[in-house]
Formats: sequence, structure tokens, C-alpha cells
Amino acid sequence: MMRTALWLPGLLLAFALAATAADQATVEKGRKEEQRTCLPCHSLRIIHSNRLNRAGWNKELDKMAGWGTKFTDRDALLEYLGATYGDDKPVTPPEMSADGRSKQ
Amino acid sequence: MQANRRQIFAALLAAAAARQIKAADGIAIPGKRPMILHNDRPEDLETPVKYFDSWVTPVDAFFVRQHLPRPAAIDPAAYRLNLTGLVSKPLEVTLADLEKLPQHTVPATLECTGNGRAFFTPKLPGIQWGRGAVGNAEWSGPRLSDVLALAGIDPAAKFLEIDGADTPVMQTPDFVRSMPMEKAMHPATLLALKMNGQSPDIHGLPARLIVPGWDGTSWVKWVVRLTPVAKESGGFFMNPGYRYPKYHLPPGTPARPAELEVIEGMPVKSTLTAPEDQSKAALGPMTIRGFAWAGENAIERVEVSTDGGARWQSAQLSPRKLPFAWRLFTLDWTPSEPGYYTIMSRATDTAGRVQPIVPPWNPSGYLWNGIDRVGVTVEKA
Repeated sequence: MMRTALWLPGLLLAFALAATAADQATVEKGRKEEQRTCLPCHSLRIIHSNRLNRAGWNKELDKMAGWGTKFTDRDALLEYLGATYGDDKPVTPPEMSADGRSKQ
Repeated sequence: MQANRRQIFAALLAAAAARQIKAADGIAIPGKRPMILHNDRPEDLETPVKYFDSWVTPVDAFFVRQHLPRPAAIDPAAYRLNLTGLVSKPLEVTLADLEKLPQHTVPATLECTGNGRAFFTPKLPGIQWGRGAVGNAEWSGPRLSDVLALAGIDPAAKFLEIDGADTPVMQTPDFVRSMPMEKAMHPATLLALKMNGQSPDIHGLPARLIVPGWDGTSWVKWVVRLTPVAKESGGFFMNPGYRYPKYHLPPGTPARPAELEVIEGMPVKSTLTAPEDQSKAALGPMTIRGFAWAGENAIERVEVSTDGGARWQSAQLSPRKLPFAWRLFTLDWTPSEPGYYTIMSRATDTAGRVQPIVPPWNPSGYLWNGIDRVGVTVEKA
């Protein structure tokens, strides 16, 4: 009993660390998938300004798939969007463009 | 309009490469002051409220909304407008033909259907517009009815389908809209060849539809085809895009597709432009400013509160009381003591419509028109 009490927290921590590492790897894969699949048609600001729950992001991916996006790692992309731009994440204000009046 | 997909794709990749270099030292949009950058490819730009200090919004400060990549600038000499469908004789019209028709000027407020989406709770997907996806301009060109008369409209036509020169990317839908023929034939509905006397490509010139009092989606840019049809068009940007629930829904619940309707017209609304939200001001006289508009109606009254909505007083309105165009309002105010004040504005239109405290939540985040509100901290001078 005593020994169990000692090793159990360590084991749980190990599991937790492994899970986090796995998630981070998935999130990183998702970030690459975003570069590959989204950037050809539009810049990423329009994605990163949104805060949606997983179901909301999934619906957006459905829409984009319907419009011809070929995902190779859709699960990782969804993981990345949910983890980075979930509805629990604070909103960041959009950037300002530079003055373009001299560039007609 | 359809185009060679491979060409578009190549152009997009080249544009993306060019943009990435520019992004390092900030993205500048040609012809525009610094704007709130919701997206740079395609450009979706919001006007900071501090630029709204005149009845006519200058082109260099006017908001931009694009669904699809901006088409290459149209050479005025090469421009052609196709009149097809339920017409007496299909016709190809040049810019010179359009310039020969009687020219009219309509001042009208153009507002993105999703202006204010960021204020809805729960949050909604889409561009997170704040207050500035709106502007007021003087649009000039022939009446759409005069343009259509060149080809002659078959009486069987009940709707007008409009297509712009922007083209789909991969399998995205093309931006095609339709509207009832009655609105197309309205004397204020124009095919604008000028915006504030200019022809800015980014705003859809040399030929942009002006649909006064209706949401921005109806104001098709770079118009290259007009087609009278018997039935409403059915593309994505008509259905399910740009529809609004017939009956209000509990916030956060899914749309009921059978109960979504095409948006026609706009609600009554006001926006505060000064003082700036969460700014500081010295104790002493100041002027509260803003603008108010009401779709196809004119603004009757704007009331302002400086105490969070407990008491209201009428603001001064700019003199031109027009349908379609906004009115500026001001209220001189001298706070009696320092502290934080919540300033609010509430507009009423000529049909008696009043801005609500809580606008109806809807699954696409359209038509936000809640009573506007800014906070200001007044400090001892």
C-alpha cells in the first residue's frame, strides 16, 4: 500500500508529460498542416482572429473541404486550432496595416 | 466569372510570396491609411473610428471586404458588361456606353452585413468586425434600370442576377448575387462608375452596384454580368450565405435552414466616434460625436446618455435628412466631476424603429445594431 502510494503519483505525472508531449507534437503537425492547406488561398489572420470550440472549428474545416481543400492531417489541424484558438482563449486585437497612401 | 484555375493558383502563390517579404516591415495597402487589418489576402480592412470625422468617408479610409481574391485592375477601355438572360436582345456594353447614360449621384451608407460581429456572445465564426465596417460615400453612375433598358427586360423576369469579375479559388463558390427586380429598378439603385469622384479598384470600380439601404453583400463589385431571371439565384452567397433567421433563436443554437431568409434592408443603428473607447479626457467641456443610419429610412433622432443609460438627451443632427445616408450627431457635454463615464447612443429612424439594448443573436453574426457604448475616464485638469 505504502509503495503504491509512492509510485502512483510519479506514474500519473509520467503519463501526463507523455500526453502533453504527444499533444504538442500533434499541435506542431497541425500548424504545418495549416501552412500547407490554408495559405494557398488566403492569409492566416482570418483564422487566427476567431475563437471557436472544437465543434465550431470542425464545421469550418468541413466548409473548406467542401471548397476543395485536401487535408492530409485533418485531426492534427483540428487539435492545433482547438488548442491555440479555442473559445477559452483570450481575443487578441487585430494589427494595423502600415500607411499605404504613397503606394497607389 | 469563371477563369483558368491554374493561372489563378499561380498568381496567388506569387502574391503570397511577395506578401511574406512585406509582412516583415508591416503590410501597407496601396491607397489606404493605416487600417485595422482583419486579413491581407484578400484584403479585409476596417476603418478605425477616429477616422470618421466627416459626412463623406474618404476613399483612403473606407473599409474593404472581399470574399475572393481581388481581380486584376480592369482596364477601362477593355471593360465589358454582359446583359444576358430574360432580355429582348443580349448585349455587350462598354464603359463609354455606360457613361453616355444619364448620370446620377446618390449619397449612401455602405455597411458590411457582419459589422459588429465581434460584439455577439457566444462568438461566431467569420471576420471579427468591430465598429468600422461601414462608410458613407457619394456614388455616381447610371441608374441600373437605364442600364437594363439597353437590352430590354422580359416581363417574366422577377429577379436580377449579378456577377462580378472576381473568380473562385479551387472549388470555392463564385460571388454571384440576386435581388428582386423591384429593388433593381429603384431609381436610387445605380451602377456606380465613381465613388467620391474617384474610381478605386479596391472598391469595385470601374462598375460597382449601389443598392442603397441594403447590406454590403448586395453591392456587387466589378460588375461584369447582369442577368434578369425568373427565380432567385441559388449560389452559396445567396444560400446558405447571407441569410438571417425568420424567427429569433436562443443564442448559441444552430440555424434552422428552412427558416433562414435573404437579408433585404438594414436596421437602425448609431456608432460613437468620440470620445474613443477607454480613453482619458481632462475635466472640462467636450463633444460627444458619432453617426447614425437606418437602411432605406432616414434618421429621425439620436439620443445620448452619459450615465450608462439612466437618462437620455437628444443630440444635434447634421442637416441632411436623407434615406440611405447617415447623419452625424454631436452632443456638447461638460462632466461635473472626474471619474469613469459610460456614454451610450440610441438612434430612432423615420419609421419609428429604435436601436435595441440586445440585438438578436444569429448564427452568422449579422446586423449587429445594439445601442452603442464607450467608456471614458475623466481626470482633473
